[in-house]
Amino acid sequence: MPLSNQKNGSDGDFDKSESLASRSQGRSPLPRFSPARRRFLKTSAAAASGLALANCARNLSNANSGSSPTATGSPASSPSPAGGSASELYIYTWAGYTDDALIEGFREKTGIQVVVDLYDSNEAMMAKMQAGGGSAYSIIYPSDYTVIEMVKSGMLTSLDKSRVEGLDALKPKWQNPVYDRGNAHSIPTIWGTTGLIYDPQKVGKSIDGWNYIWDNRKNLTRKVTLINDVREVLGATLRTLGYSYNTTNPDQIKKAFNKLVQIKPAIASFLTTGWEDQLASGDITVSMAYSQDAIALIDEKPNLKYIVPQTGSSVWTDTMVIPKSAPNPEAAYAWINYLLQPEIAAEMVKQLGIATPSQAAFDLLPQEIQKDVRRFPTEATLSKCEGIAPVPEKITEVYDQYWTRLTSS
Amino acid sequence: MSSSTPSSSPLAEPSPLAPSGWRKLTRLVEPIVLLVPSGVWLLLLLVAPTLLILELSLIPGFRVGQAAGGYGIGNYIEAFQPIYFQVILRSILFAVGSTVICMMLGFPVAYWIAIMAPLRWRNLLLVLFVLPLWTSSLLRAYAWIAILRPSGVLNSLLNVLHLPNQDWLNQTPAVYIGMAYSFLPYMVLILYASLEKLDRRLLEAASDLGATPQQTFWKVTVPQTLSGIAAGGLLVFITSLGEFVVPELLGGASSMTMSRLIYNQFLGATRNWGLGSSFSILMITGVSIGIALLLKYGDRDTTVT
Amino acid sequence: MMQTPSPKSNFKVSWQFLFTLLMYGFMYLPILILAVYSFNASRFSTTWEGFSLKWYQALFKDLRIFDALQDSLTVALAAVAVSAVLGTMMAVGLAKYRFPGKGLYQGTAYLPLIIPDIAIAVATLVFFSSIFGLLEPIVQSLNVSLLNMGVPFSLPLPALSIGTVIIAHVVFCLSYIAVVVSTRLTNLDPHLEEAALDLGATPFQAFIKVLLPELIPAILSGCLLAFILSMDDLLISGFTAGSGTTTLPMLIYSRVRTGVRPDINALSVVLILMSAFLALASEYMRYRGDRKRLG
Repeated sequence: MPLSNQKNGSDGDFDKSESLASRSQGRSPLPRFSPARRRFLKTSAAAASGLALANCARNLSNANSGSSPTATGSPASSPSPAGGSASELYIYTWAGYTDDALIEGFREKTGIQVVVDLYDSNEAMMAKMQAGGGSAYSIIYPSDYTVIEMVKSGMLTSLDKSRVEGLDALKPKWQNPVYDRGNAHSIPTIWGTTGLIYDPQKVGKSIDGWNYIWDNRKNLTRKVTLINDVREVLGATLRTLGYSYNTTNPDQIKKAFNKLVQIKPAIASFLTTGWEDQLASGDITVSMAYSQDAIALIDEKPNLKYIVPQTGSSVWTDTMVIPKSAPNPEAAYAWINYLLQPEIAAEMVKQLGIATPSQAAFDLLPQEIQKDVRRFPTEATLSKCEGIAPVPEKITEVYDQYWTRLTSS
Repeated sequence: MSSSTPSSSPLAEPSPLAPSGWRKLTRLVEPIVLLVPSGVWLLLLLVAPTLLILELSLIPGFRVGQAAGGYGIGNYIEAFQPIYFQVILRSILFAVGSTVICMMLGFPVAYWIAIMAPLRWRNLLLVLFVLPLWTSSLLRAYAWIAILRPSGVLNSLLNVLHLPNQDWLNQTPAVYIGMAYSFLPYMVLILYASLEKLDRRLLEAASDLGATPQQTFWKVTVPQTLSGIAAGGLLVFITSLGEFVVPELLGGASSMTMSRLIYNQFLGATRNWGLGSSFSILMITGVSIGIALLLKYGDRDTTVT
Repeated sequence: MMQTPSPKSNFKVSWQFLFTLLMYGFMYLPILILAVYSFNASRFSTTWEGFSLKWYQALFKDLRIFDALQDSLTVALAAVAVSAVLGTMMAVGLAKYRFPGKGLYQGTAYLPLIIPDIAIAVATLVFFSSIFGLLEPIVQSLNVSLLNMGVPFSLPLPALSIGTVIIAHVVFCLSYIAVVVSTRLTNLDPHLEEAALDLGATPFQAFIKVLLPELIPAILSGCLLAFILSMDDLLISGFTAGSGTTTLPMLIYSRVRTGVRPDINALSVVLILMSAFLALASEYMRYRGDRKRLG
């Protein structure tokens, strides 16, 4: 019979995979569920038996805001197999924010084994947490505007400052950030900007701001990539018009959209990543990029240049938070304190190509990194930059509709 | 399995009573054994979640983690705004185009492997054709960027051949190329399964009776493999309708599709799960109606032949 | 073997052959590109900076990639194995029997092909967490009674894990396999099985000896299809995986932010070569087996 040998082959492999599955189940952590979710279950079980799905979605919608007092549940009491054990810490973070040396150093110091899971957008992380899939994590790395949202949904533990050491070492700006006053729920750990990356030799002059794209749009047909994010792109345009990144005025957003339409023929694609090769080969002239990605590229292609636009850009901070559902807050505090050590933070800057909000860590860095304006823009530049903040739902929808129009036409 | 009891009657010597007894038991037990396990699985993990999506779609502006309003059809009204028409139209166009391309490219390949290739090699050839799918779809899309970009592999090749350069990346042709590439192996797999059981004697008989290869193809091969053609076409159509990576990475600035729209509603800035769900339900309904029509049409077709 | 006396097909170069060759070229061109860049000293695909094996060294040092590969293979193999059995049974059952609600059942079976991944991924996660919420107290009280009875082990609490990914993957693998098997069943002679039953075979024998051999090619191509889809699935795995479970697509997508490096290309090359080798080896074994039987 045709293909019959392959069948045997895969059957053999299956035996192995079964045992693998059981191993993995052993190390998996325990999720905790709010009563609200239990209620939903009953209704959805009813749905499965052909009855109505009454109230199920409503419970989902209240799962986090409504259940915050109970979400903490009984972290210590239940016999959790992994996530809650004192010797393991589950971290949910971005790629490139941890490396083996960091994790190994932490294990040597505390005896806690770190397990890292990665996400690629704040929204994906939020969706997984809110749908009930993130109860194993004791540390999460949301960006600034997501911290606001998580606090609002009651997802985050108020940090016990007596258990956090080294907050004084933060630069004044991060002592009391707008997204989380007094760092009540979050500890800033990594920051960066959004800007433009280009090849000065090909462009023939130095670009100093977003306006370059508008001024040269005739010669830039499908030569520009922008970040695939509505707030970044519309925000940058708003900024060129002199408005705020976080405007809630629909007229201003409309003006920005109309201005953006002018350069539509110049936009090759909306890519957050994936523009690197096209830029390096010259198929793309200018890319809008996050500083961290741009610096990583320039490290290998020194002919490229990254600038933070003169008119101002967005500045973002990624933080560490402890969710209320954290099974192992002890280890979470230990992790935060470990990363707040200036030596460790400085090492991260060197190894991972990021910027640190810690003044003490900054002071430990070699001169050439301190003076690297791509990582650490001047105060004059930074003073024109804004952090992206959440806007009311109605306004979010306005942004989204313009975005759909922009990417559809 | 339905018959854990060993059969007392050996195959060669049928006892007169056994068949009807078995037949009765079989009629009763077999459908349960065959259909209940997968039925329960689908009910729990597919029907229940789908009903949840349906419910979400009926709560206007539903956002997870926020208090929900009452039921209503607000999401559907919003989904029918003119700005989304373009998106829906484009998605359908992409899907139809990819299906046609895959069919045209896939049929000769499947035909050659299933009928003309040496018997011994067929399985291997089939597996080798599908093998490129072992790489992540994201990596394949990046590889296509390297091929299609203006200074890329394709244009270097065209230069060598003294052909005019093409600038396909970030435009519609790149989407078709990427989608055809992604779904061609599926098409070939399904067409192969259908062509492989084609009765070769029919082909020989047709040519013995003086049919031209074209006549044999249209009068014998195609009708005999119609179910495979329908299944392959349907599969590619539906999968390309849901394709996300290729339009996003290769399609450029004007390539918003239904699946990207849905994705944006669930994981984008608005996180309007209600609207996303209503798009999903509309997509499911639309495709279902299409399939139902196709099945009806297909059934009539097979009864005629 | 029931091979028809295949005409000694002396190989001819036909246009179909040339076209097929071209299509193989089409399929392998991007793979070739990936392979070339995996040997490039530069991280980028723009310039050739000399031959280097450093990405392969990086690959074999990066245990996370292999963990992810192991998770992916575990999920795909387990899901496909379960789906092969369930999907085939379902297709056969649907082809053989009429019952009330059959159309609905059939429609449901096709549903995973239509539902957008993201919607089903989110909904499945919500569903899982609800089920676990219900099961948790039950398991806990069971464990308490086990403890009281002096039984030295306790049941694991329900949690997201690699197992939940497998369960979720079975759903779509199941329907893809069922679809492919159904196409094969439509043109199958229903009297074959009847004849076997008339000759006194048990239904089980009839199924195994008569129907199954006819279905094997379809089942296997369905499995291949499901396997590939499972290996490449990002969204459903991403949402149903427990912490510590990372499939290969999850790893690749999360690394996109730091830039996909050629070590992932190197992995693709290794994977393709390995599976090509496996396919060749199994074909060779079969060939040897056939020869032995004939000689």
